[in-house]
Amino acid sequence: MGHHGHIEVTSTQPYNFSSRNRMIAMVMMVIGLVAIIAQFATHHEQTWANLLWNNFIFMGMALGATFFLAVQYVAEVGWSAVIKRPLEAMGQSLPVAGVIMILIIALGGKHLYHWMDGGITDPNAANYDEIIAGKSAYLNPVFFWVRVVLYFAIWTYFARLFRANSLRMDAGEGTPAYIKNRRYAAAFLVLFAITESTMSWDFIMSIETHWYSTLFGWYTFSGFFVTSLAALAFIVTYLKHKGYLPEVSEHHLHDIGKFMFAFSIFWTYLWFAQFMLIWYSNIPEEVTYFMLRQDHYRGIWLAAFFINFIAPFIILMSRDAKRKKYLVMFMSAIIFIGHWLDFYIMVVPGSMVIAGHHAAAHAAEGAAHGGQIFGSIGLMEIGTTIGFIGLFAYITQHFLSKSPLVVKNHPMMEESLHHAI
Amino acid sequence: MSAAKHKKFVYGIFNDDDVVMHAIPALRSKGLRVKDVISPFPIHGLDDALGLERTRISITCFLYGMTGCSLALLMMYYMNIFDWPMDIGGKPSFAFYKNLPAFIPVTFESTVLCAAHGMVITFFLRSKLLPGVEPHVIHPRMADDHFVMAVQIDNDSEAANVEAQLRAAGAIETKK
Amino acid sequence: MHKESELRPPLILGDKTWHDITEDVCRPVESKANKWWWLAFSVSLAAFLWWVIAVSYTVGTGLGVWGLNKTVGWAWDITNFVWWVGIGHAGTLISAILLLFRQKWRLSINRSAEAMTIFAVICAASFIVSHMGRPWVAYWPLPLPNQFGSLWVNFNSPLVWDVFAISTYFSVSLVFWYSGLIPDFAVIRDRATTKWRKRIYTILSFGWVGTAKNWQRFEEVSLVLAGLSTPLVLSVHSVVSMDFATSVVPGWHTTIFPPYFVAGAIFSGFAMVQTLLIIVRKVLTLEDYITIYHIDMMNRIILITGSIVGVAYLTEFFIAWYSGVEYEQYAFINRATGPYWWAYWSMMTCNVITPQLFWSKKLRESVFATFIISIFVNIGMWFERFVIIVTSLHRDYLPSSWTMYSPTWVEAGIFIGSLGLFFTCFLLFARVFPVIAMSELKTIVKSSSEGAKKKQSQTAKQETHA
Repeated sequence: MGHHGHIEVTSTQPYNFSSRNRMIAMVMMVIGLVAIIAQFATHHEQTWANLLWNNFIFMGMALGATFFLAVQYVAEVGWSAVIKRPLEAMGQSLPVAGVIMILIIALGGKHLYHWMDGGITDPNAANYDEIIAGKSAYLNPVFFWVRVVLYFAIWTYFARLFRANSLRMDAGEGTPAYIKNRRYAAAFLVLFAITESTMSWDFIMSIETHWYSTLFGWYTFSGFFVTSLAALAFIVTYLKHKGYLPEVSEHHLHDIGKFMFAFSIFWTYLWFAQFMLIWYSNIPEEVTYFMLRQDHYRGIWLAAFFINFIAPFIILMSRDAKRKKYLVMFMSAIIFIGHWLDFYIMVVPGSMVIAGHHAAAHAAEGAAHGGQIFGSIGLMEIGTTIGFIGLFAYITQHFLSKSPLVVKNHPMMEESLHHAI
Repeated sequence: MSAAKHKKFVYGIFNDDDVVMHAIPALRSKGLRVKDVISPFPIHGLDDALGLERTRISITCFLYGMTGCSLALLMMYYMNIFDWPMDIGGKPSFAFYKNLPAFIPVTFESTVLCAAHGMVITFFLRSKLLPGVEPHVIHPRMADDHFVMAVQIDNDSEAANVEAQLRAAGAIETKK
Repeated sequence: MHKESELRPPLILGDKTWHDITEDVCRPVESKANKWWWLAFSVSLAAFLWWVIAVSYTVGTGLGVWGLNKTVGWAWDITNFVWWVGIGHAGTLISAILLLFRQKWRLSINRSAEAMTIFAVICAASFIVSHMGRPWVAYWPLPLPNQFGSLWVNFNSPLVWDVFAISTYFSVSLVFWYSGLIPDFAVIRDRATTKWRKRIYTILSFGWVGTAKNWQRFEEVSLVLAGLSTPLVLSVHSVVSMDFATSVVPGWHTTIFPPYFVAGAIFSGFAMVQTLLIIVRKVLTLEDYITIYHIDMMNRIILITGSIVGVAYLTEFFIAWYSGVEYEQYAFINRATGPYWWAYWSMMTCNVITPQLFWSKKLRESVFATFIISIFVNIGMWFERFVIIVTSLHRDYLPSSWTMYSPTWVEAGIFIGSLGLFFTCFLLFARVFPVIAMSELKTIVKSSSEGAKKKQSQTAKQETHA
């Protein structure tokens, strides 16, 4: 055993983004667009919530990948050198997600966020809300838009910077470019620690403006980070399925599987911490959040919990499971579905309450059911999601086809190629 | 190595793990019965080289954990729901499922408690590690920096040949 | 042999052989203690005696000898309990989480960090037992039948969860530590020159022989125990935080508490590991094993966890304002500007500002700066618990009950005494147990020692010339 032979990087070519795959991704995007338009024309109440929910996941996958990439640099990780190109490509969706996010909130913000209701902070208005007025130093349009633009500017800047330096490694300056990225990654992580929390409050927690939870930012992080790990697992196993990335061995798959397993448990831990503490103390202003979900969304609420905890816990526990390519791919899909449901539970119920208020104010039949309307998951929701997956797939494949699939001259490459556990 | 008293062995003493790892397949291909290697630290890949089966101790751990989990849930159900329901702090939750969030921490701790201790006790018993066990010390530095390779023989006449082969494979010393 | 990246510095300095490691690690066990050890031991033992006196006085007279009053029913005792349990967490992080992350630098420090865990949990438990007032009925939180004098315990109570969490944590850490010690005891046993040493270490080593099967099981057990200890260590401080967070007390009831307590625990634990190891590496001349690189790595963890704690402080403060709840807002304003402002700002300075100094590589690699900053962090994390507990209790919903708390000499004695207990245990450990996991450390000599790295770069040079 003693001395392994010298292993060379064989993935010197980029990924071939075939016209068939291009077609599939575009058809998916068209399906998404049709679903969004069709829903807007018929039952428009849930359309804005659907867009926010799906775009948040789309953004989260890109952001989670960029975070994971930054951690690989700061922690000087050896094994992951061979999977850096997929991570870099995933992060390139951030500007697109940013544009869509800005469009969604600019056009539909008042259907999504309680605090964006006109006149809600005006003491003379009929719908004046004292509690929301108390938050207006933070939740006001000017400050909000400044934050949103800053988030995407910062994240996009770093996602592109990491990739640019990585391409510089290909060009020959391996270690210096690596050390640059390590420094930038440390800076990114500091900014991420702050923007991640505030972004979660801005995009999701402020939907139900009265409600608050200190854990919410970290809980949201655990959710989109697992989703991005699942997306990474899917991309890597798909590339292997297509015959790419021979350098990625079962040992690397094992490690990706471990991350999916561990962070699924971590997500469960934070889910439980947030739920149990609110359930236990039973304070009216906090517990309404879970009452709404428990009473009207019980099936999806519980399904999200069980899919995200029990499935990875049971299936990914054994060593062998994490080393089987197609099982890892299957689990990445399961975890994606689980967190798709979880983000639904985080975004849609609150937005539907606002949609209900609007319906009650504007239409006679709205008043008939007391302004209460509830979200559902049907063909339109699935169609919207297919559209976002198509968009993510298109962008990721596009960037994978622009550079060799494995970084050249990476100072950790030797370790990654010999990785054995 | 409980059967060691009845079986006969020749021991080769080595001072490098790479030499040992190369010697195992080389000596086996010459028909020597290399049964075990005693080393001062775990050698990566030694179990595969010797053809050992993978240990099933983590499976026992899973079973102990499941036991601990069930016992804890059963205990709390019996004490706080079945035998003596209590209304404390405005929580008159006399149904198991309504109390479940509050039962999770103890269930988790009990699972880990039983899994960890069960596995370690199993490890000690299976490997015959207990206070008072007298170790079979073949070489005084076998826990320090020397490696002992045990080759089984049927009768003493084989010993000289095996010793020569062990030395040829890199042993610095041999013992019967 | 697996070749490491050239960016990785050596983890063992000098051209050490396996036998050199054995000699260096066994030396303190096999030689007589010097006068510095005896001096430190005498001071620790004297402090521990104070603990005995203060605890005896408390138990004999009653909890009235402490400074607790009508609203502040928890103060010094629980502050110290949480502080000590938190310190223990670094040991488990090093031995379990860093094992899962395959961080080889853990090998030089995991043994002493785990020992620290065990002793810290003992100190923590001593506060729980002494704050009971009647320690002779300390078995009441156990799930015993009604006939024993109390009712079945209430499993809805976070205090009962704590009993399970702490006892599981203690016993599993102990077993994890001991199973790792067994091969090292065998080394001392086989080298023993005196009859008693041979006899004692034979018993301690459980008859260990490093056969292939034993090592295979040993490694699997270590890995699975690490896998179990990782969620366990998260759960322990989470459960401790739930003692507060399940309540409806402003400043206590906040959902971020579980992960934030865990981050704080690791933060404080690493500070204590630094404080201890900087002394140990000097006194036992282990500078070749606990190198500047090890200190740098631990400082990085202090920087990361300190920043996480900082983010959590700001989050709590922000959400208290954002919530719009008057009581919640007051609790935080009172912390920062009320009569205990000095405790709050000590906490903020020591925990949020001082670790940020570690952005400087120069300071991360300075033994002196590390030692000073680690002391600051220890103090800051003590104040954090004091701030959380006392400022939330001394002014609650009813202003007519507002009051102040200050400790008595008895409480101070128990705290100083617990430090004595901790150091007494640690000093004994350093004399009779191998302070470095030498069997495991030997696995990285060929890949990560300075000598091996020199040889590697020489062969690499020869290859390029050829």
